[in-house]
Amino acid sequence: MNLINYIKNQLIKKGADDVIVYQSNHDSTQVKFVNNKIAKTETHLTSDISIFTAKSKHLISTNLKDPNKKSADEKIKNIFKFLKHTQPNKDYEGIAKGPFKYKEIPETYDKNILDMNEIDYVEKGINSALKNAKRCSGVLEKEIGSNQLVSSNGIEAEDKSTALYYSIRAFTTKEASGHMTACSRTLNKFEVSPAAKFAGEIAKKSQKPKQGKSGKYTVIFDHLPAAVLLNYTMDAASIFSVESHLSFLINKLNKKIGNFTLIDQGNLPNGLNSLKFDAEGVPTQKNIIVDKGILKTYLHNTSSAKRHKTKTTANAGIISPQSWNILLEGNQGNVFDIKKGLYITNIWYTRFQNYAEGNFSTIPRDGIFEIENGEIKQPVKNIRITESMLDILKNIQIISKETHQVKSWEASTTTITPKLLVKEVRITKPTV
Amino acid sequence: MNIDLADFTIKYLEKKGASYAEARLEHHNSNSFVLKNGNVEVSGFGTASGLGIRFLIKNTLGFATVNKLDKEEIKKTIDNSLKLTKRAVKLTEKTTFSVEKPIKIDYKVKQKIKLDSQDQSEKLKLILDIDKKLKQLSGRYFSYSDTLSNKYFTNTEGTSINFEIPRVNFFYFLTIRENNRSIQRYLNYGQSSGLECHKTWQLEKNILEEVKALKINLNKGISPPKGKIDIVAAPEVTGIAVHESGGHPYEADRIFGREAAQAGESFINQDMIGKKIGSDVVTVVDDPTVENSYGFYLYDDEGVKAKRKFLMKNGKINEFLHNRSSSIQMHLNSNGSARANNFNVEPIIRMSNTFMLPGTMKEQELIEDIRLGVYIKNFMEWNIDDVRMNQKYVGNEAYLIKNGKIEQPVKSPVIEITTPGLYSSVDAVANNLKYFAGNCGKGEPMQGIPVFMGGPSIRLRGVKLG
Repeated sequence: MNLINYIKNQLIKKGADDVIVYQSNHDSTQVKFVNNKIAKTETHLTSDISIFTAKSKHLISTNLKDPNKKSADEKIKNIFKFLKHTQPNKDYEGIAKGPFKYKEIPETYDKNILDMNEIDYVEKGINSALKNAKRCSGVLEKEIGSNQLVSSNGIEAEDKSTALYYSIRAFTTKEASGHMTACSRTLNKFEVSPAAKFAGEIAKKSQKPKQGKSGKYTVIFDHLPAAVLLNYTMDAASIFSVESHLSFLINKLNKKIGNFTLIDQGNLPNGLNSLKFDAEGVPTQKNIIVDKGILKTYLHNTSSAKRHKTKTTANAGIISPQSWNILLEGNQGNVFDIKKGLYITNIWYTRFQNYAEGNFSTIPRDGIFEIENGEIKQPVKNIRITESMLDILKNIQIISKETHQVKSWEASTTTITPKLLVKEVRITKPTV
Repeated sequence: MNIDLADFTIKYLEKKGASYAEARLEHHNSNSFVLKNGNVEVSGFGTASGLGIRFLIKNTLGFATVNKLDKEEIKKTIDNSLKLTKRAVKLTEKTTFSVEKPIKIDYKVKQKIKLDSQDQSEKLKLILDIDKKLKQLSGRYFSYSDTLSNKYFTNTEGTSINFEIPRVNFFYFLTIRENNRSIQRYLNYGQSSGLECHKTWQLEKNILEEVKALKINLNKGISPPKGKIDIVAAPEVTGIAVHESGGHPYEADRIFGREAAQAGESFINQDMIGKKIGSDVVTVVDDPTVENSYGFYLYDDEGVKAKRKFLMKNGKINEFLHNRSSSIQMHLNSNGSARANNFNVEPIIRMSNTFMLPGTMKEQELIEDIRLGVYIKNFMEWNIDDVRMNQKYVGNEAYLIKNGKIEQPVKSPVIEITTPGLYSSVDAVANNLKYFAGNCGKGEPMQGIPVFMGGPSIRLRGVKLG
């Protein structure tokens, strides 16, 4: 902590009002496999120091490239030079006041990960998928990290972490595929075979799809697409999105938006994104964002919370509050207990026509199936969901008991999600 | 930049038994700010540098990165990477590279008005002045950044390239809310140049004109016509369509399945070269050498000379985008399409500036002989499936065409169409080629890379709106 404390103290000495210095060191690897073979390995050694400075409401964000005192002194000089050419942020209300006590979050660091043999896991996953599929591709990623934060308001915080992420997509033909991910902070809870098996089975079942039909459907969303929908919902709950009109949850505070409970939890045991503290050093916590259908709070940092006369939810981002791990609770039951509908195992390319109104479309990919009397029947292809996010949320009927921790391209915030049963989902298809 | 570290890297890897090694040393200096509803949220400046290292050992590809630039850290990173890569040999897909001519060159993109010739307050003023004129809008979000990047690339085959490129980026997102209804608009501006870009961008004029038109659309827009009609897609819509379904499916790594797990594959396969999927007037190129373009480069991130590629020629599938490992699978040389958006990601096959070539007609001539149609000037929502076949573009500023004339505004016309359906319906191409900047996403981890997407106005005959 010597260097980051030095930077903080020098900035205060030279007249800064608020200072946060954040250091992170991460060693990570990735093994990428393509068509059942390893295509590449990646190894990264990364060390970053970021510096936030506020003076008379002028806010500066910068980084220190070379971690030594000489570079730090030069950087501090440049911060004050740069400050003169900026404008104040009239909305800024300061950073959190510490000190705080931090509790260990269970299952967020496992030294066994350091010595694991990634290649064996990749091989095991490929073999599981190939029981049903002809080829598979994906990645296995491992990360070991440490984070340290000091602030001018008496905060000193540190955390160390390990993380594992696995993604596999299996194919039987070019248009028959299945996809699943797995993630964990500890080695003993990390399993590649169930994800690989699921991907392979969906790839097998989704052969010979027929063109889907447009219309309104009752849809079962598996874990991957459910996580994407919940990610966009939680993004919309950030006060930054609300103030920027990038949110369909504008003016919805204390209003009913569905029949579920949506939670953000930064201190979730084994949560892939769990960390002891947010970007201001506030201890992370469990926040009920939507309580039995009522939107109770937006995600806040200290400054936005003061502005909106509430308390921080420990979701800083200095500028834009972000969620940590998303959880959903609600009306549990058998989501397959329907007479007729569609089962969608993945979606991608979600784009909005109007963020404030929540109008969007997204494309189902991998296995899509017709459901008849609770059973998976004919696979379909080439369809699109064209909907309003508010209608999707309103129409969540049942959620499955079993949950799965998901991270993906479009679900960048880890989501511990059940499967969802949503009624009245509009499906469209190409006209030519 | 201490280029000796890159030279040290490839020698160290050779000593350790690598049959091929390359090092890409990068240094980026940037300035940025974010403005929300007239308030300067934060201003930033920073430097980032690091080393991206690729090597082959027993035909297995290893990639390593480090941002603490000293020899001990580099050696530690390489040793860790070699250990993992050697373990991967037992399951490896053997990687080989096409034979390419070694290059030795220094080049840079000239700045007429240097990025550092203005301080942050001058850059801020330009955007604050625009914001003041939009105060009546309920949501205004702007972001600005400029970056001066230096790259040094070297490999064990004798190539060494020094490259300097300045890039300026501006993004806006606006919300117009009137009478309990809203319409939104965002656009990205980007260029590889100094601050002279502002002269060509004319931000204030363009944004104010757009806002005026969108307000009219919000309040007076009618529903789009039903049944088969003709569509004139303006350059912004042509550009996104060409990028999504005229560029992505031609990436050879998709075709060979290397990006299957996330970015997806392609409806095109190797045997489809020469197959007609569009009309004679459709020719799509990818060209990194367009001066001052957002996707500009003269040598790619494998050190291969860049050139214009004809992806679709007169409606026929003509050529794929290649790097050194995909090209050798088709017994070809690379056409210089390997790019990485930073030192810490591997170079993969990417578009640069992808656009449809213009024709000779004026846009007005495309409109003149339409009895009933829609003119779509720009768009908001769009998406495409992961084999690049089923795509959707939803118009934002759009107008009815009746008896050859532009009439009242139309709300959110939807083109939902297959790729052959789209390109086969184009019967005329105007002469008004325009480019639009974007950041294209691909790879795992995701890398957003600067590109131009463009084309002229095009006419689609007999298309049913979605």
